[in-house]
Amino acid sequence: MDYFEPKTINEALALLAKHGAEAKVIAGGTDVMVDIKYKEEPGCLINIKKIPGLGAIRENGGSLRIGALTTIRDLETSGLVRDKLPVLWEASHQFASLQIRNTATIGGNICRASPSGETLTPLLVLDAKATIAFADGEKTEPFTSFFQGPGKSTVGSKGLLTAIDVPYPAQGSRGVYLKHAVRGAMDIAMVGVAVLITPDTAKNSLQDVRIGLGAVAPTPLRASKTEALLRGKPLTTALLKEAAAMAASESSPISDQRSSAEYRRWIVEALTRRGLEQTWKAATGKEVA
Amino acid sequence: MSITINTTINGKTVSAGAEASTSLLEFLRDTLEYKGTKLCCNTGECGACTVIYNGKPINSCVTLAADANGAEITTIEGLADGDKLHPVQQAFIDTGAVQCGYCTPGYIISVKALLDRTTKPTLEEIEEAVSGNICRCTGYAKIVDAIQLAAQKL
Repeated sequence: MDYFEPKTINEALALLAKHGAEAKVIAGGTDVMVDIKYKEEPGCLINIKKIPGLGAIRENGGSLRIGALTTIRDLETSGLVRDKLPVLWEASHQFASLQIRNTATIGGNICRASPSGETLTPLLVLDAKATIAFADGEKTEPFTSFFQGPGKSTVGSKGLLTAIDVPYPAQGSRGVYLKHAVRGAMDIAMVGVAVLITPDTAKNSLQDVRIGLGAVAPTPLRASKTEALLRGKPLTTALLKEAAAMAASESSPISDQRSSAEYRRWIVEALTRRGLEQTWKAATGKEVA
Repeated sequence: MSITINTTINGKTVSAGAEASTSLLEFLRDTLEYKGTKLCCNTGECGACTVIYNGKPINSCVTLAADANGAEITTIEGLADGDKLHPVQQAFIDTGAVQCGYCTPGYIISVKALLDRTTKPTLEEIEEAVSGNICRCTGYAKIVDAIQLAAQKL
């Protein structure tokens, strides 16, 4: 296996161009090392950890720019993330163990493109965008079109994810990330649901609703029909029930060793209901009527 | 392809070669003969391979040996001062927090890292600090006792 430690983005892109599909990019290594030990070694490993400037979190107008090499622990311990993007903070806090959070990077979690990736549904509901470097220039891709299937994203084999831009949610909005797993944070989610709502100024109805579903389809996804059903309406008990059932119908889970597809759909329904209830109460100070 | 790794282990400068695909755990155990760090799940789930890497606890099984280049690493062998055990090690003995012992080095390293961060950890901080370490013998209660005792002694 060939091994490279590029010192610049351009150097990394040149290596990707030369080695193509047999190259594997590694940063923290918490996923890639398991593949190397239990699946197969790639022809060539490109360790991007030595590229300077990719590990910072900084304010950029009304958004946060997060470098791809930022570790999950950096997110978890960042006052800016906790204050401005609590949904992303919650996911970072429920992300595996401290040992893993100290090593794993947000860029790795994203590029792994696992349907259950902990940070992905929060990024989806926050309307975050990826900045990807290619040989012919930089491209910005919203996460709603970033994921193409398990392990597949628009980064492909020639691109390098360099940063994530996450706009601050609207004033008065409330979000939550709910994860269903047997062994708490350590486990891969059976289902993960992120909900972000913004009430109208009178706090009577849902001005904006975003629901992200994880581990229940080939990619993490937004429950867009459910969002459309809820938008502009007050959250009533009947609407909550209808929305939760609709979110479950928008998922297309598989059965595997962690749970059956049927069970996952039940959990999507339960977590969507719980997420909407919690955020509605937090944002409006009212119970669902 | 073989690479040369220059690193600092328990305060000692070390230089050795390794295959590029080698994990830090394999490098420590098989190349440098630091056998105190344990191989268990090899997927970053059990914490038996925990070492302190530039001040932070990490799973050495899912870290590239190449990333040890220029880094400072503390393994279980680096804790005792000659024959005098580190307070965390002594606390594990005093409270009976060790049964088969296989997970113990990983626990002690996680606890050392915790007590480096804070000398007065809350129960919640203790539980979080070792949530990435699995013990199949003790039922965890005595491990928590040991951590509280170590915190008192430090």
